[in-house]
Order: sequence, then structure tokens, then C-alpha cells
Amino acid sequence: MSFLELKKVTRTFGKLVALEDIDLKVEPGEILGVVGPNGSGKTTLINVISGYFRATRGEIYFMDRKISGQRPDRIAQAGIIRTFQSNVLYEGTTVIESMLISSYQQYKTSHWHSFFNTRTWKDENEEVVGRVIELIKLLDLLNDTFLPADGLSHGYQRLLGIAMAMISKPRILLLDEPTTGMNHEEAMFVVDKIKKINEQGVTVLIIEHNMKVLLNVATRVVVLNFGTKIAEGIPDEVMNRQEVIEAYLGTEMV
Amino acid sequence: MMTYIDYKNVVPKTIIALGVLLIALVPVLTANEATLSMLILSGIWSVVVMGFTLVLRAGQFSLGQAAFMAIGGYTSAILTVQMSWSFWPAFLMAGLVSGLVALLVGMVVLRVGGIYFSIITLALCEVVRIIAQQWESVTRGTRGLITSQPNPINLGFYEINFFINSVPYFYLTLGLVALTGLVFWRIGESRLGRTFAGVALNQVLAEHQGMYLMRYRVIAFTVAGVFTGLAGTLYAHFLTVLTPTMLGLWQSIQILIMSIVGGIGSLVGGPIVGSFILYIFGSYLTRLEIYGIQQLLFGAVVVLVLLFLPKGTGLVDLWGKFWTKVIWREKEFEMDEGEE
Amino acid sequence: MPPAGIWIDGLIQSCAYMTMAFGMVLVFSILGILNWTHGQFYMLGAFMVYYAITIAGLPFPLSLLVAGVLVAGLGMLVKKVIIDNITGELYVGAATMGLIFFFEGGASMVFGMQDKGLAMVLPGVLNLDAFSVSHQKIAVVSFTLAIMIILYIMLNFTRIGLAIRATSQQPDAAALYGVSVERLSLIVMGIGCGLAALAGGIIAPLYTINPFIGGIPMLMSLLAIVIGGIGSLTGAIVGGLILGFINCVVAYHISYFSEVVLFVLVIIILLVRPQGLFGAALK
Repeated sequence: MSFLELKKVTRTFGKLVALEDIDLKVEPGEILGVVGPNGSGKTTLINVISGYFRATRGEIYFMDRKISGQRPDRIAQAGIIRTFQSNVLYEGTTVIESMLISSYQQYKTSHWHSFFNTRTWKDENEEVVGRVIELIKLLDLLNDTFLPADGLSHGYQRLLGIAMAMISKPRILLLDEPTTGMNHEEAMFVVDKIKKINEQGVTVLIIEHNMKVLLNVATRVVVLNFGTKIAEGIPDEVMNRQEVIEAYLGTEMV
Repeated sequence: MMTYIDYKNVVPKTIIALGVLLIALVPVLTANEATLSMLILSGIWSVVVMGFTLVLRAGQFSLGQAAFMAIGGYTSAILTVQMSWSFWPAFLMAGLVSGLVALLVGMVVLRVGGIYFSIITLALCEVVRIIAQQWESVTRGTRGLITSQPNPINLGFYEINFFINSVPYFYLTLGLVALTGLVFWRIGESRLGRTFAGVALNQVLAEHQGMYLMRYRVIAFTVAGVFTGLAGTLYAHFLTVLTPTMLGLWQSIQILIMSIVGGIGSLVGGPIVGSFILYIFGSYLTRLEIYGIQQLLFGAVVVLVLLFLPKGTGLVDLWGKFWTKVIWREKEFEMDEGEE
Repeated sequence: MPPAGIWIDGLIQSCAYMTMAFGMVLVFSILGILNWTHGQFYMLGAFMVYYAITIAGLPFPLSLLVAGVLVAGLGMLVKKVIIDNITGELYVGAATMGLIFFFEGGASMVFGMQDKGLAMVLPGVLNLDAFSVSHQKIAVVSFTLAIMIILYIMLNFTRIGLAIRATSQQPDAAALYGVSVERLSLIVMGIGCGLAALAGGIIAPLYTINPFIGGIPMLMSLLAIVIGGIGSLTGAIVGGLILGFINCVVAYHISYFSEVVLFVLVIIILLVRPQGLFGAALK
């Protein structure tokens, strides 16, 4: 049984081919890094998996269920949660409010329970709130709990984005460039957190432009260029391959 | 250190309870028909405005709420006048029909967001008006349907008679306002309110966290539709005549203004305050004897309120976003205070 | 086939809706808000033309100009005093809706509630073989045409037109290239409101004037914008044309039903193709 599997996934925008015949397998428990120069189709990959765009051709399976062509909320309910490249937040909420809104999937009882404020709901809510706090601690956001989310620094907003994805208890977490716009220390800080998340048993698919970051975190990498997969393997080995170096020539290389 | 406002204490429960009690006792204090009818009508509008605010809080800006009032009003008027039902079943039926229409229309129309949705609902509002105007065999067109007050209820020891004065009707309206307020307050407090906030504040994010946008928009629209329909019935039967022009685009705009001026930070407080203040203000203005000055002052006040309230908040938000915002409370997090 | 007179009435209405819708789209594409008071500017324009002709005794074209300039100034004032000081699309929308009451009330106080009518400003009838057209109606069409040509030239061959087109497509980029969006939006608000006043003024001599005539043209031009695509200038013109004709020609065949047709058409367009017939980029 495969965990997340992409079979010959193609996505075109008009004449532009953003992804072409991508075959990809994500194994449970790993941190799979996807790298590639700008415009190589990395973000499109996440958008296609999470259902934001439909695949033009090809199929995506998750735990042996076909998820391509499903609505984003269905895919999220199946356990695939993504973050966004830019800081996408719930406008005007505080950190804790955004976390509580995001904890939507954690409640298993029906809305009626919360409407009538029953015991079941109170217990469940307490449990979820406890988990929210735990997560906030894990990602070092505790001091900002009651601050407006859009007032946080860039790095913390990125972390909040990850926290908001994590509260849904994903089976697989899709991270879209979690370290953009950060300096090296900040990036390493985030990498550390991602590792912690992975240790809790969450599979991570991370898309990154910055090779250095990826070498530090990924257990396996896939290199994309012009929408096709050009290499796959363990990070150190892949980075030394000729075709990868060529694809990256002229851009920042390790 | 954690610093935040605990909104719970901004408006103590006792003050709210006292306010409700005071309003409930109005008929004892005064039997003035004009005052009573003013309160009844503002109560009816406040129900409708609450419905509008609920839809708004789910992220959709509806300009067709008056249409649901009209649907409710016409349903019960037609049932009582043309088919000689008694008031009470017709009243419930009106809520049902209006909710059903909201459900069906919502399932088609709520896919579209933003300004497009507003214009669709605006068009729907006009369509309802035109149908009411032209379907003369049922609605009597522009001449309007003459409705009657509800039948007396005999409780054995006491007869509630709606024909003598407006007091029973006042309590009927108060009951509806209280019921709507209670339901909406619970919606705001519950998980549903949180989800509405998510859907409204960021569609894409909400969708990628597993919320099915359409489901929650339709829920909000339908709940609003049911209560708006009930309010429409009360409106029609209180004014004893229902013509197509009474509930149109114009009224939808008034509903919107009442909601915004009252404040959309709260599902219950804002709409009630907004509609009572603006309606009562408006009806005092009609006593002025200069043509046009009512509208002039009404418009001026609306604009001034919007201008001078800080950064687009309504009247109620001024003293705290109490009651229904997706809030969290001190006691839920007490466990953490020790650790810091 | 309805008689030619109906088609001409359709054209006349189209002219008014086109001019108004154009102004609304212009305001929408630069300021990003729908100005719900546009209908009241139309009404004010009609009144100003009426008083300019009856009291000041100005000739028709000159009084049009006066009405346009005065209302444009009023629009700029509204922008400066009210719209600029309110944040949030929702609240600006509510404020412009509040202004509807303000202007209608003010107009009823100042001008009175009763209907007014201008006697034919340009008497005379042009007789063709099949039908006849009054000079007034010809004037309406030709004035509208003139306005459209002026706008076309302004948008395509002047600096300000270039700035408007650039800002409506890429506000940030335009700002980077030195367009003062602040000043531009003030000017555009003036132009938009002035256009509404011109629309009102042009057809003022044909219909009665009272403080409440603004509502229907406002609704119609809103629908015209929707049909043409919100944000599309060509769309506004075509939408206005379509609407005017639907209103007159369809109404000739099936009376009131034309309105239902119209609204249902708009609803369907919005559901199927929200960007309208002339799909401008979605905002």
C-alpha cells in the first residue's frame, strides 16, 4: 500500500506546462524535500495535491484512495494539510483565535452538541484547547497567544501558519517554502521545529527554494525543473549530480 | 505576561438582564399605542437585522433580506386571507416556506461571492417584488392583501385578545426577538460561529482546513431565512396590510444600514441596538413637518456614525466585542498562568 | 417587430444608462467601491439642468456643462470628506447608501417633492418617411455620442487617461511609476459623478423630474455593469445598450415581464459567468 502517490500528474495553464508526467511516492514518516529553481512547478505541485488546482491529467492516490479531482476540504479531511507560500491568515484574529478556527477538524461530535453546550462538547473542547496550547508551546508562540496574528513578525507568522496546519493533526503536512524571507538563523529555527513535528510521526513534504535548508532537514529529495522530475534520492548524493547542478547553475548553489 | 480584555465583564449579565426586564415591563408602564407600535416594529426589524448579520458573518453580503420578509409575510397573508387558515399555523408555515426558499436559492446562489452575491440577491429581491405585484389573483397586486390580527387565544382563566390593544402583540414580538437572540447567541458561541468566522475571514484557508464553504454559507442563509420569514409575518399582520412596495430593495438597504451602524462584531447586541436606535430615531423624525428633512437627517446620522466610529466599528463594538465574536475566555487557559 | 418609435426610446434609455454605467465602472475600477449614490447624482444633474434653463436662462448645452461640473465637484467633496475617512469596503458601501437618503431628503427640501417637467428645449420634429423623431431625442443621442468620443480621447490620448488605465489594471505598479493614486481617484470620482449628472441632464427634458428619479437608473446601470462585466469599460457601454433595448423592446411585447427577464438574465449571467460578457480580470 502506498501512502501518497502521484501517477503521471500533469497540469497545464493554457499553453504553459507547469507539471509534466510527475510520478512521486511519499513514504510514511519521511521528510521529502522538493527543490527546483523558480518556476519549476514546485508550488503547483502542492496546489494540485491539495486540490486547489485540478490535475489536467493523471491521478493522485492517498492511502489507496483516489483524491485527485476532489474538493480541497475533502482532501483536507483525508489528512492532507498544507501551508501557503505567503502568510495566509484569518484576517483580524489573534493567534489563539486563528488556532481555534483552524481546529475545526478536531471536533468529532456534531454541531448540536456545541449549540446546546452539552457535557460532551465541553470535554471535547477542553481537550482541543489543551492541544492548541501544547502546539503553541511547541512552536514557541506562547508569548504571542493573545496578540493579533497579523502583528507578528514575518517569521512568527510563518510558524503560526505551520501551527494552524498542525492543529488539524495531518497525516501528511505539505509545507510551501516555510523559510522564505528569513535569514539563516531563523531558517534553522524553523527547520528545527519541522524536525520536531516529524518526530511526532507526521510525514512532511517540504517545498524549498533554498538548498541549504533542505539539506539540513530532508531525508529524501526530489528535484524539479521545468515541470519534470530530473532527480530523486538522498540529499547529499542528488546535489552532486551533474543535471541538478546544471539546472541550478546561475542561481544560488550550495 | 498575558494581557487581554475579558469581554465577559465589559457588559455584566445583570445589566443585560435588567434591560430585558425593563423592555418586558414596558406595557405595564405605558399603554400608549404609538410607543408600543414603535417598539414592536423595531423589534421586528431587529430580528431581520440579526438574520442579515448572521449571513454577513458567514462572509456573504446579502441585499435580499427584505425579500425573505416578503416571502414570509405573503405566505401567511395568503394562507390566512385566501385559504382561511388560522394565524398560528400560517405563522409557522411562513417561517418554513421562507427557510425552504432560502435553502434552495442559497444552494444555487451562494457559490458566488463578494459583490456578485450582493447583486444577485438584489435582483432576487426585485423579482419577488415584481411577482407579488403581478400575480394579482393571489396577491391582489398593488392593492395589497388585508391581513388580520391573530385570533384570540383562550387560556381558560384569561383570554389573550389581539384586537383590543397591542400588548399581546408586543409580547409575541418580544418572544420572537428573544428566541432569535438566544439561537443566534448560541450559534455565535458554538463551534458553528467559529466556523462561520473561518469561512468569512479567509475562504481559501478555511477550505484547505476541511471546512466545506457551501455547507456553512447555506446553513447561515437558511437560518437567517427562517427567522426573517417569521419576522415578515409579524410585520404583515401588525400593519394589517401588505403591498409589494413595502418590502423591497429600499428596505434591504435599511436593514444593511441598521446592521452596520449597530455593529457587526456581535450577532445579537449590535443588530438589536442598531435597529432600535435607527428605527426609533426614524419614526421620531417623521413627526417633523418639513418634507424631506427626515431622510436628510437619517442619512446624515448614518454617515456621521460611520465617520466617527473608530476604524469601522458599530455602536455596540465600541464598548467591547461582547457576546458573540469568536472569543476565548480566561478560564479555559488558566492552567497556563502558573507556568510563566 | 415593434414600431420604430419603441426602438428609438430604447436607444434614448440606453444612452442614459451607458453614460451612468460608464461613470460607475470608472469609479469602481479605480476606487474599488461601488458608489451607491450614483443615482442621486443623476437626479441632481437633472435638477440643475432644469434650474439652469428655467431660472438662469442658459442654453441647453451650457447648462449641461454647468450641471456636470457642479456635480463633479460635489462628488469630489463626498470622496474627500466621507469616503477617504472611512476604512473598509463594507463601511464605505453603507455610507454611500446612507448618502442616498441624505441627497433625496435634501433635494425634497430644496426643490420640493412635486414633479417638474421641462418644456421641449429643442422643439421640432424630424420627419422621415417611415417615422418621425423629435429634435430633442436626436440631441440626446448626439450629446451622448459626443461625451463618449470625448471620454475615448481622454482615456486613450491623454496622460490622465493613461494613468487611469494603468491604475485600473495594476494599482501597485502604477503607483510605483509615479501615479498619485490619491489624486487620480479624486479626479476619477469627479468624472464619474459628473457623468451621472450629464446622464440625468441629457434626458431631463424628456421625462418628469422629482427627487426620487435616481433609483431606477441606478439599478439599471448596476445591472448594465454586471452584464458587461464589473470593471470593464467597454462592458459598461454594451451592457447599457443591451439594457435600454431590453427595457423598451421586450416590454413592448410582454409588458412587466421584461423586468423579470432582465433580473433572471442578470442572475444567470452572474452564476455562469461572474466576470460578465466582457470578462475583465476579476478584482
